[in-house]
Amino acid sequence: MIIDVQLASFFTAAALIALGLFAALFLDNLIKKVIGLAFIGDGVNLFLVTLGFKPGGIVYIFLPGMSADTFAQSASYPLPYAMVLTSIVIGASTLAVMLGIIIMLYKKHGTISSKKILDD
Amino acid sequence: MIEYILMITAVLGALMALIQRDLLKSAILTGIPGASIAFLYQYLMAPDVALTQAIVGSAIIPVFFALAVYKTRRTEE
Amino acid sequence: MNPLIPIMVILPITCALLLNLIHTKERSVKILAIIVGIALPVIPLLANYGIHYFGGYSPLIDNPQMAQGLPDMITQSALNLFHPAITYSFTSAQKIFVFILGLIAFLAIFTSLSEIKKASGVYAFLMFMGTAAVTAILLSDDIFNLYVFFEIAALSQVGIILASRTEKSYETALKYLFLGSIAAPMLLLGIGFLLGLTGNVNITDIIYSINTGLVDPQNPVLLLACGLIFFGWLYGSGLPPFHSIKSAVYSKALPHGAALLQAFSVFTFVGLGIIILRIFSFLPFTQVAIIVVSLLAMVLGITMALMQSDFKRMIGYLAVGELGYIGIGLGLGTALGITAGLFQAVNEAIITAFIFIGFGTILYKTGITDTNKLGGLMVENPKVALLVMLSGFAMAGVPPFNAFQSKLQLVQASITAGLPELGIIMVLLSIVTFMTFMKAFYTIYLRPKPSELEIKNKEIPWATIISLVVLLLICLILGLFPHIVTGQLEQLAQGLI
Repeated sequence: MIIDVQLASFFTAAALIALGLFAALFLDNLIKKVIGLAFIGDGVNLFLVTLGFKPGGIVYIFLPGMSADTFAQSASYPLPYAMVLTSIVIGASTLAVMLGIIIMLYKKHGTISSKKILDD
Repeated sequence: MIEYILMITAVLGALMALIQRDLLKSAILTGIPGASIAFLYQYLMAPDVALTQAIVGSAIIPVFFALAVYKTRRTEE
Repeated sequence: MNPLIPIMVILPITCALLLNLIHTKERSVKILAIIVGIALPVIPLLANYGIHYFGGYSPLIDNPQMAQGLPDMITQSALNLFHPAITYSFTSAQKIFVFILGLIAFLAIFTSLSEIKKASGVYAFLMFMGTAAVTAILLSDDIFNLYVFFEIAALSQVGIILASRTEKSYETALKYLFLGSIAAPMLLLGIGFLLGLTGNVNITDIIYSINTGLVDPQNPVLLLACGLIFFGWLYGSGLPPFHSIKSAVYSKALPHGAALLQAFSVFTFVGLGIIILRIFSFLPFTQVAIIVVSLLAMVLGITMALMQSDFKRMIGYLAVGELGYIGIGLGLGTALGITAGLFQAVNEAIITAFIFIGFGTILYKTGITDTNKLGGLMVENPKVALLVMLSGFAMAGVPPFNAFQSKLQLVQASITAGLPELGIIMVLLSIVTFMTFMKAFYTIYLRPKPSELEIKNKEIPWATIISLVVLLLICLILGLFPHIVTGQLEQLAQGLI
């Protein structure tokens, strides 16, 4: 392949963030906006995971019988992975709150167009 | 090789979800980037993150969206 | 080890969860909320200064037992100094900030319990959760921990607006949450860049890596990280371009909620601002950027406040404008300037809470926020009117109140730093603040009462009066003896240069 996995993964993350930003800023439908925001979160998480990834490395789980030196040299860096776990859950809960508010707004206004609801 | 395919499906799935007129379809399509990213995490040496993302990204979030669409309206105006 | 440091965060979270469980039992909600509320400002006063490592994992250099038998590759390198655990540091400046935050939280909860007819556990739950999150932002030395609590703070702020059930509160909450879901991933991205460069999320270690040349300080990725964290900071504290949504957030909350929300913004501003200064102060334009944004916030906030007819919205804009003073203090970069800025942060949190709770009495008596429909309330309750007037004097910086001292120090600092123009702008804007406030005060209290205005026949609760008097007393004490706070803040300021 022309580019390695890590670089390609960074590009994927960037593409997801760009798509999400575009949707969140320019699409009119509120649910579409929220979908865009979910993609921004996904993109950032993918970016963090890719940071910890070591090409040709092994999973950061210390198995019995493994020598400490090999582990230290070839394991991928676990700190970003631990962060992503938290971040995924935070993203999902924020999303649930947003969708809940949208449902309440639909009951009140009868529409989910952001132009009609959010503009004063 | 499979990593690149997963990356492409993730971006294409995201794009597909955003260009649908039918919101229920786009809600279900959000599962595609979620699932592809989950598999991608597996290839990026993060099995625990992959598990979480598989559940949250490919099941819970699409269901949330589908529920929201069900409670509001199905088409964009 | 100092067990009281994590308790400052754990206690409000635990209390919040309990309140959520028992939210239907009105009496137990009240008792629990008041007991924990009193504990909030007391704990930081009792706690000793120190550093808390979660899980007890101190750096290897402090832990010779653990370092025994480890290879030289670890003990002889920087790894020996790095912090493996989430670290909370508690110094004299944090003591003041956490104390003030706890006090405002207590007064806000105390007032809300007496003003809302049916005490709701959910509302108190959100207030405690937000307080815990902002306390953690102030204490945390770990930038990812900070991000987590940043998100919790944003969510609980949204919750407080939603629970207020005012007109259009859902729309504002959704807008705020939308912007938050853009800003928070950007903050996380910035943290990711820092992590990628330095391999660390501990702020002390990041600074160590940058200062000792483990990481190239001229690396353009650092610039990008700085920009992204700066963006998150703008959102968290409501500086432009987020000033109008932030003031809308204040105006949609109930007055006691707004008093707490502005304290959240002020302390998020201080917490993240200190971190930006600590990590990125070597970049020449960080301080310039802080000053420019602060000036914009001051000018936009205070001039927009002049044009509002809704008094809640007006105070919201004033609160955003006052944030600019803190930012100018931080951006000056001298010890005097930073001390004055931090002192102004403490004062502003108190005074704005004072004003919000004070004006809340008007809403309580009439249910109207539009100043054009109000008037003649002086006759109704002259004592409260006097308290409200004093709060406005305090905000504008009239002696002997505390904001006078901090604004004076800010002007002095800007002159000694060679930027007297900033001092002139600050004085001018103080006058405009005073004008804005007096205009609202005149229309609400002094002019003849409009014939269609109905005043509800219920007494202002004594809890509200007590809160107002306590806040007034703190304003006076800090105004007469400013060194009790500035003396504590100076250490932090010296460390930031």
